[in-house]
Amino acid sequence: MGSAACGVQGSFAEEPQVTSKVFIALRVPADPARTFLAFTQEISLWWQPDPLFRITPQGDGRLEFEPGPQGRLITRFDDGTLFEIGHICAWEPGKRLVFTWRHASFAPDQSTEVEVRFEAVGDETRVSIEHRAWDTIPRAHVARHGFPEHATLARVADWWRRSLAALRALD
Amino acid sequence: MSAANLDRTLAALADPYRRRVIDLLRERPHRAGELAEATQLSFPAMSRHLKTLRSSGLVEEDRDEFDSRVRIYRLRPEAMGPLRDWLEETDAMWARQLAAFKAHLQKSHK
Repeated sequence: MGSAACGVQGSFAEEPQVTSKVFIALRVPADPARTFLAFTQEISLWWQPDPLFRITPQGDGRLEFEPGPQGRLITRFDDGTLFEIGHICAWEPGKRLVFTWRHASFAPDQSTEVEVRFEAVGDETRVSIEHRAWDTIPRAHVARHGFPEHATLARVADWWRRSLAALRALD
Repeated sequence: MSAANLDRTLAALADPYRRRVIDLLRERPHRAGELAEATQLSFPAMSRHLKTLRSSGLVEEDRDEFDSRVRIYRLRPEAMGPLRDWLEETDAMWARQLAAFKAHLQKSHK
C-alpha cells in the first residue's frame, strides 16, 4: 500500500523510545454516536483550511473519511486530484478513531498518528485528540501491535513538556 | 519544516541515557567523564552516546581551556527547533479544528 503502518508507537521490548505528542480535548454538544458521525462523515463541512499549516502545497482540499476499519482519510481538489493523508487504524463508532497522518512534505517513510476519543459527559461528548509525532525506530522494524504502557507514555510526555519549556526559556 | 532534522532529533533522544545527558547539559556544560559518572556508564559507552548526540546537532564539543585533552559538552538548544515547531503547529491546528468542529455541532443541533 505504500503508506506507513499503523501503531507507529509499537514498542520494542528492550529498546526505549521517545515519541512526542500533542494532546487536546474539548466538550461538544452532542452524544458520542452523533459526534463520531459528524467528525468522520461531515469533516468537509467543519474542517478549516489553515494557510500556515497546509496538508499539501495546493492547500487542504476537501477532506473525506472513507468509513470503516479499512478506510482512508483523503482530500480532494477541484482539479480532480486526490491526496491520501492517511489510513484508518481503528474505527470504533461512538468511541475511538485512529488514523495515520502525513503531509505531502513528509519523507515517504514518515508518518504521524492521530487518535480521537469520544467519551460521554452527561448528554455531551468530550472529544480528545492525541497527535503523535514520528517515532524513533525505523518503520520496517515497528511491530504492528500495542502502544507502550501508559506510565511510559506519560513519563515521556512529561519529559518533553519540561524540555520544551526549558528550551523556550533559553531562547 | 524539515522532516529529516526532526527525525534525527527524535532518534537521538530515543535513549534514556541520552535524555539524561540532555537534562544534565541543560544545567551547565559537562565533561565527558562527569557525564559517564552521573549516568553510571562506562566511558566508552558514554562516548558512543555523545557521538550520536553530536551528529544529531543536539550537543557540541569543546576543548577545556586549561587542559586540551579534556572535552567539554554543551547543549545546542536551536537543534530542538524543528521538533518544537512541529509541536506548536500541530497543537494550534487541532485547537482550531476542534473549535470549528464544536461550532459545526452547535449549528446543526439548533
